[in-house]
Amino acid sequence: MTIPKILESYNPQEDIWDELMGEDGVRPIYEQFVRSIEGISHEEMEGKDDLAKKLFMTQGITFTVYSDREGVEKIFPFDIIPRVISSEEWSVIETGIKQRLKALNIFLKDIYHQQFIIKDGIIPLKLIYSCPLFLREMMYVDVPFDIYSHIAGIDLVRDADGSFYVLEDNLRTPSGVSYMLENRSMTVRIFPDLIPKNNVRSVIEYPSFLLKNLLGLANRQTSNPTVVLLTPGVYNSAYFEHTTLARLMGIELVERRDLVVENHHVYMKTTAGLKKVDVIYRRVDDDFMDPLVFRPDSILGVPGIYWAYRKGNVAIVNAMGNGVADDKVVYAYVPEMIRYYLNEEPILKNVPTYALDVPENRSMVFANMDKMVIKKTNESGGYGMLIGNKASEEEMETYKKAILEDPRSFIAQPIINLSTSPCYIDGKMQPRRVDLRPFALYGPDGISIVPGGLTRVALKEGSLVVNSSQGGGSKDTWVLGS
Amino acid sequence: MARYMERTNGLLRVLRTNYVASQDEIKQYNWRSVLQTYGYLSPSEMETIQYNSRAVLEYVMLGKENEASLINSITRSRENARAVQDHITKEMWHNLNAYYLLIREPSIRQTIQSGDPITALDALIRHSLLLYGTIDITMSRGEAYSFLNVGRFVERAIIITDVSDIKLKEVNYRLDDELTLPSLRYLLYSLSGYEVYLKTSRGIMTPDTIMKQVLYDESFVHSILYCMSHISRYFKRLEGQSIPESFAHLDFLIGKAYNNLKYSTCDLKGGVSIGALLNQTRSDLYNIAIAFNKHYFGYN
Repeated sequence: MTIPKILESYNPQEDIWDELMGEDGVRPIYEQFVRSIEGISHEEMEGKDDLAKKLFMTQGITFTVYSDREGVEKIFPFDIIPRVISSEEWSVIETGIKQRLKALNIFLKDIYHQQFIIKDGIIPLKLIYSCPLFLREMMYVDVPFDIYSHIAGIDLVRDADGSFYVLEDNLRTPSGVSYMLENRSMTVRIFPDLIPKNNVRSVIEYPSFLLKNLLGLANRQTSNPTVVLLTPGVYNSAYFEHTTLARLMGIELVERRDLVVENHHVYMKTTAGLKKVDVIYRRVDDDFMDPLVFRPDSILGVPGIYWAYRKGNVAIVNAMGNGVADDKVVYAYVPEMIRYYLNEEPILKNVPTYALDVPENRSMVFANMDKMVIKKTNESGGYGMLIGNKASEEEMETYKKAILEDPRSFIAQPIINLSTSPCYIDGKMQPRRVDLRPFALYGPDGISIVPGGLTRVALKEGSLVVNSSQGGGSKDTWVLGS
Repeated sequence: MARYMERTNGLLRVLRTNYVASQDEIKQYNWRSVLQTYGYLSPSEMETIQYNSRAVLEYVMLGKENEASLINSITRSRENARAVQDHITKEMWHNLNAYYLLIREPSIRQTIQSGDPITALDALIRHSLLLYGTIDITMSRGEAYSFLNVGRFVERAIIITDVSDIKLKEVNYRLDDELTLPSLRYLLYSLSGYEVYLKTSRGIMTPDTIMKQVLYDESFVHSILYCMSHISRYFKRLEGQSIPESFAHLDFLIGKAYNNLKYSTCDLKGGVSIGALLNQTRSDLYNIAIAFNKHYFGYN
């Protein structure tokens, strides 16, 4: 199709996959969308952009930044132009994620039980035992249905050749799903009628799928199990998400003070007295879950909850100790896990990853630091990261020193040229880097993934960092029907 | 007046829910059942617009030729209010007048035709709530307030029967079909009952528990039984100001309708049985309304 006026100034960069424009102009999956907006005037687009901001403000769709002196809550920047994914691409993503999540769950069971993967020499013992997220307390704990990661947010990026790579497996407490749902409802407001016209698949079923899985984990003989969402509280960065999910599922949102453990059973305090809790969807990190077992200074966790869990009296989602499977060094072994446990070739690729406790890797990375991203193995949210081509000499030296002091805590990856997607910024369409976080739900009936996810955008020109805590934003993700 | 006010509020919620549903579906959304309930189009006229959300909204909200339209309901409510200004508060009259002016604003039509219809619907819903708040805060709890509430709950109960019927029609009264649940979920949304349902039923969506809430839950403000009990409650306050025979007749009709519903032997797993109960209830409610008009407002 010919380039419409609204895209005349759109200028994708060379050697970067652009979601909208290919060599032959607008890609077919975007044609319908582009046709729909080509007649929209500049003023109308500005109006839509303003409407989006206003709606996020009035609806209180916010996140919290810990170190921001201006205030606690911030509006999550939203870009009004959706990212479009074809049904064929989605099919690959969906099967790839299911394969990966299945293997990772088997790995978690294995690593906390017989440890065949270590005995067979696929993963070094040292690697697992040196991982700070490996919980010895989870050894030989039987979890319901052998599912450890019930909710996973797998981060995907696209390289210059257009193929998808898994960047991270978030198997602990992945967040962002409420923004996926809110972004969709924003698009309905901003571009009325476009979703049905573009044959976009619905994401509305996510809370129902999640609740079904949570209810399925209750092992008590009851038709009415009690499910709660445990939040660290109002100052947590994802508190908006916690309240949204609890509301959408009709379950109680509880904090530490609302729960009590008696005789290895968890109870919720209610106005009618104590009520037994069967399933806890927790958004509190492992370390803080039980001050009697993990960090004694934790005021977020519930004393005694670990033993209630270990005895099988309560199901916890996600299971504790999952961090060992999304440690950035262990990540490098996921393709091997898939081959080892499933006897299949991985559908989704890994980004090449170099563990820096290996001397050869270290010297190679030090020699090519400007082409590498160096990450701390157990940080998330874009913290503890050095992007080689943007870093100063001084920053590189600081990192080198830190790596030499504690090499196990760092990995390096070549800089991936994240794909760009059109964004409406400063009154015109501009390409910005994006990633994609689809949310997979693993329950007793199998793995389900709603067609969509959270597309995060690096709103700053030239930036590769999409995390909300680092100035990123998000946009709606459209998976087209076949 | 109160019935028209309640009708506007109910209609706005139905339209909002159906519009959101129409935006979130891959297949074309069919507005036929809404048009059948809130319009007077011939089958061929209906066919021309039944897949066009904006055209439907324009017809049901702003169609002056449509007797059941929102604009006509608000206009009539205002006319009635003007006639009984000595019984209502000045604030209430001002609000109703402002509501009337709001729906006539060109920006509302423009938003429905080419902008974001939810913005227009939200503005009107907000005004409708403002009106309820004004009544609650300013009206004395006397005769006029009781009349207002009887009218309000009679209309609300009728709306619930209509909206339930719309959703059951969408699935041809077959509750055993898996396509039923999305329709019934939108029924709950239309009645502001989805969150209540999730809380009480732990999110396990079954048609019979949904219908049980809509029909019988006395703590759910949009259940028919809740409305019936409030009709009875507010009507009993009118006893001192009523002609005994008129009161006795209405009291009998209200009691009969309440008991017909509460002690019905409706099979909640069968759509046809629920459909019959809804018809019976609607007929009982119309009889109450007709008797009210005859005995209290002098219509024959």
